[in-house]
Amino acid sequence: MIRSLLLNPTARPFTVMAGSIVVLAVIDRGTGFFFSIGTIFSVMQLFATFSLVALGLGLSILIREFDLSVAGIVGLAGCIAVMTGATNPWLGLLLGVGAGLLSGLIQGFIMTRLNLSSVGVTLGGLLTLQGMTYVLTDNKTIGYPNIAVALELNAPIGGLISVRSAACLAVFVLAALMMTYTHIGRDVIATGSDRRAARIAGLNTDRVVIGVFAASGAFSALGGVLLSYSLSAASPVALADVLATAAAAAIVGGVSVVGGRGSPMGIAAGVLTLCILRSGLSAIGVEPHVHDLVTGSILIAIAFLDAPELFRRVTSWRLARAGRNASPGESP
Amino acid sequence: MSDVSLRSRFRLGDMRARQWVLLVRIVAGGAIAFFALSTPGFTSPLSINSLLNAISFIGCVAVGMTFITITGNIMSLALGATVSASALVFLASLSLGVYPAFLVAVLFGIVITAVQGALVGYIRANPLLVSIAGLSLLIGGAALATGGQRIYPGGEGLQVFKGHVAGIPVETLYFFATVLIGQFVLSWTRIGREMIMVGSNLRAAIAAGINTAKTVTVAYVLAGACSAVSGVLLAARYGSGDMELGLGYDYTAIAAVLVGGTAIQGGSGSVMRTLIGVTVIAIIATVLLLRGFSQQWQYLITGLIVLAVIMLHTIGERR
Repeated sequence: MIRSLLLNPTARPFTVMAGSIVVLAVIDRGTGFFFSIGTIFSVMQLFATFSLVALGLGLSILIREFDLSVAGIVGLAGCIAVMTGATNPWLGLLLGVGAGLLSGLIQGFIMTRLNLSSVGVTLGGLLTLQGMTYVLTDNKTIGYPNIAVALELNAPIGGLISVRSAACLAVFVLAALMMTYTHIGRDVIATGSDRRAARIAGLNTDRVVIGVFAASGAFSALGGVLLSYSLSAASPVALADVLATAAAAAIVGGVSVVGGRGSPMGIAAGVLTLCILRSGLSAIGVEPHVHDLVTGSILIAIAFLDAPELFRRVTSWRLARAGRNASPGESP
Repeated sequence: MSDVSLRSRFRLGDMRARQWVLLVRIVAGGAIAFFALSTPGFTSPLSINSLLNAISFIGCVAVGMTFITITGNIMSLALGATVSASALVFLASLSLGVYPAFLVAVLFGIVITAVQGALVGYIRANPLLVSIAGLSLLIGGAALATGGQRIYPGGEGLQVFKGHVAGIPVETLYFFATVLIGQFVLSWTRIGREMIMVGSNLRAAIAAGINTAKTVTVAYVLAGACSAVSGVLLAARYGSGDMELGLGYDYTAIAAVLVGGTAIQGGSGSVMRTLIGVTVIAIIATVLLLRGFSQQWQYLITGLIVLAVIMLHTIGERR
């Protein structure tokens, strides 16, 4: 039972999330620091910071690619929005998200046209986007004068979520609906499971790849814009650790690195798990860097469980041990 | 008959692409040399000195990254953190004496990446995922061990790793030694040839009876050792250290590896190519600096060059 909950990738994100809540609650022992409205609000604020990048990156992992450029898009889109949206925040949002969409489209086009690996192209994309952000901001933190937008985005709704985290949740619901009920979701899963088979079955997989990278760019850009608006500032180095956290969230969320497995709701659960660990641990007074250790341990455990050769190695090791233990007289 | 003509046509296309790529390489190399030499002050001792320094720190990590890329494991996102962490270990163990501390730091770097390499090699865990886990564990572990404080040297002897010998910075000598050893391992030892084979075709390597798990682990071990050397040099240079020391080195290192022409999909490349990649990036940075461009433009232009090289390289290698 536990074995299937941990090894079945569809159920795992929710098992891990429930597990971490239980563990934190036990450590907390009813002192009420963990189960408080404040904790839930801060979890959701963290969720808003990382979730959309994780969704973009997760979708690219779902089709057996890896979009490293998301980390660059977050920064660039945030800076564009802050620099152009001072009077009209919607214009900044549009330009920021547009830049993300465009960068995803261009990278997807290069990959499919030249038949290149996504890691190489998006690595070049990441470095280029970071360079563009540095040039645009002149390597300084850019302040956003329109404080009202920040206040509005972070205003709590019912004490539990802010406008910003609600917007992220809405994007996740939309993505989940698209993945479940439209042919787009089916096409993405097919491309991720076996690209050659999908192509032979008549699917234009190149279009799916370009679409996924465009979506990944747009989602990450939206996350970056929302973050910069709510912080009232954008800086080129603000989110150096965003890639590691997003990848961790997507993987904890049950997206398989061998492709074809994963869902937006799973990714949401993965992000929530990491956010619960981060703010939960600080709520019960654990030193702040412990969450890095916990995140790393969870990741290495998942890397271990998902490794394609694990069971072969374990089996051959068991056989070798059984062979050594059995004495010649006992064997039938 | 048709089969033969088809094949020869493919060969011809292949040849043309290769010649074209060679031409672009020569033109690009010539252009870089022209811009460098025509920039006033480029050949001054000060500029050459800073160029050599810039190459040395990042170069060691890039040599290490080459082994990971060549065995088909793309890149490690944890090498930058390994650089910082081994710098901290080096500084903390300086009381043992400077060379024992160097050894301790290198051993530390080796252990950190060997564990990751074993996971990738023996059970074929995803290399990017494993390196991200390693990154998190290193950052958390270092913060736990140091309490977030800067580490200052616990003993004397740092000057062994800085200064000049015969006008060449000591750091550069260590880097050149790393390059020579790296290229020697890759070209002249059995494990080095096996790394290239594992990277170019894993199944064929298994079929040929190569212990692929051991080969991959050794590649990671070498990467850890090289990163630790870079960490020691950085620690000696700055006289203290924290986890920011090697921040971003992983990305710059993989950029250098790719600009040098090592294939991202593995199986083709060399340490010498990485040396060229590091040098090209450093020359471009120096030229831009001397011509009055800010650091920001260096980042952008390096990114564009990496993108262009990756596209160019695959056009040449396409079969």
